[in-house]
Amino acid sequence: MDFKFSLFLSSLPYLLKGAKVTITLSLVSVGIGLLIGLGAALLKISKNLIFRTLGSTYVEVIRGTPLLLQIMITYYGLPAVGIKLDAITAGIVALSVNSGAYCAEIFRAGIESIEKGQMEAARSLGMTYAQAMRYVILPQAIKRVVPPLTNEFVAMLKDSSLVSTIAVAELLRRGRQLMGTLANVWSPLIGVGLIYLVMTIPLTQLAQRMERRLRRSEAH
Amino acid sequence: MKLTNDSLISVRNLYKRFGDLEVLKNINFDLKEKEVLVIVGPSGAGKSTLIRCINRLEEPTEGEIWFEGRKIDEKANLNKLREKIGMVFQRFNLFPHLTAIQNIMLALKVVKKMKDEEAREVALHFLKKVGLEERKDHFPHQLSGGEQQRVAIARALAMQPDVMLFDEPTSAIDIELIKEVLDVMKELAKEGMTMIVVTHEMGFAREVGDRIIFMDKGEIVEENKPVEFFKNPKTERARRFLSKILNI
Repeated sequence: MDFKFSLFLSSLPYLLKGAKVTITLSLVSVGIGLLIGLGAALLKISKNLIFRTLGSTYVEVIRGTPLLLQIMITYYGLPAVGIKLDAITAGIVALSVNSGAYCAEIFRAGIESIEKGQMEAARSLGMTYAQAMRYVILPQAIKRVVPPLTNEFVAMLKDSSLVSTIAVAELLRRGRQLMGTLANVWSPLIGVGLIYLVMTIPLTQLAQRMERRLRRSEAH
Repeated sequence: MKLTNDSLISVRNLYKRFGDLEVLKNINFDLKEKEVLVIVGPSGAGKSTLIRCINRLEEPTEGEIWFEGRKIDEKANLNKLREKIGMVFQRFNLFPHLTAIQNIMLALKVVKKMKDEEAREVALHFLKKVGLEERKDHFPHQLSGGEQQRVAIARALAMQPDVMLFDEPTSAIDIELIKEVLDVMKELAKEGMTMIVVTHEMGFAREVGDRIIFMDKGEIVEENKPVEFFKNPKTERARRFLSKILNI
């Protein structure tokens, strides 16, 4: 093992710049993923067969294929059909579309966890399906999906490391670069690992605390 | 097309099947304005399904339902229809993320397009009516079962419906709180509200009902005046049902 504390310390500033890219990439991707996910969830629970098929096909295809493949297709495949994206944009597109499928399942579970009587009460007052969704079902579902969405964000912080393969200078990519320039493996990699942990552990804990609080508030 | 009678609601040859299970068999009845119709019968008789067909929370398999002289079919605007048919549920179904007054205001604003102030005024009026004005800012979980159900009644009334459907409104409420809900319903009946009430409260049925429909196994077995129904039921099935529940 070639770990050297001095090399570890000196690699931190360079790595932290990569962490900033990782965080930005994850925030933007999960942000867009949330919107895609909500839309896909509404499609999936729709009574219309075409909408439903559309929604579940998207979710199944994305969840049934590796994220790395999706990144490759976006970056190397799309130019062949005339869509040329730079690495960072391709990364964001691939990660967003991927995150959307997972968010869709979270939203769907959240919406379906709301008691059937809520929709019936809203409809019995003359609200349309869309009004009932917007004013009655979603406000209740949102509360329940915040913890799993936080976990989704944690997953994205880690999974975004896959865009290092298309030369986006995020955290892992920078770690690998340092391995070469420092001629040292362990020092930068331990730095990379520690920085991931500093980002993920507090968020995971936060999600757990929110879950416990939610369970308590819904106990009565 | 119109039915040639002056009924508010007419049900004709209504059937409802869930797969092989026949829940409603050839249901026929009329409801006149200001009438209080009470539906009784053992659980599983199809009582709830029947009133849920009226505001189309359930889709009938066969048959016709007429409301205010119009047939309810695929062309009917169900949202407009439901505005005129208030419904109170066994489990209240208040919106847990909204306070009592917000529960009432929501549909006033969203469906009736009232401004916030007007909706608040109307909501307050109906909260007063059910005696819960000072509870207006409480969330459902801060209210007792009886209070929640009264808010639910106020929420339905605020839409100014032409008829109110009650689906076992006291079945999920502690015994000592049932009276406060029944009192609100009695008051409504006195004011001339047209009502269909599915209930196991025989005292209420006798005192407030204008007419009783006894259902068993998806059929209307007997239709009668309350006094007659309880004193001298026409059918053996009704007699057996009454002897069972009145002995308990």
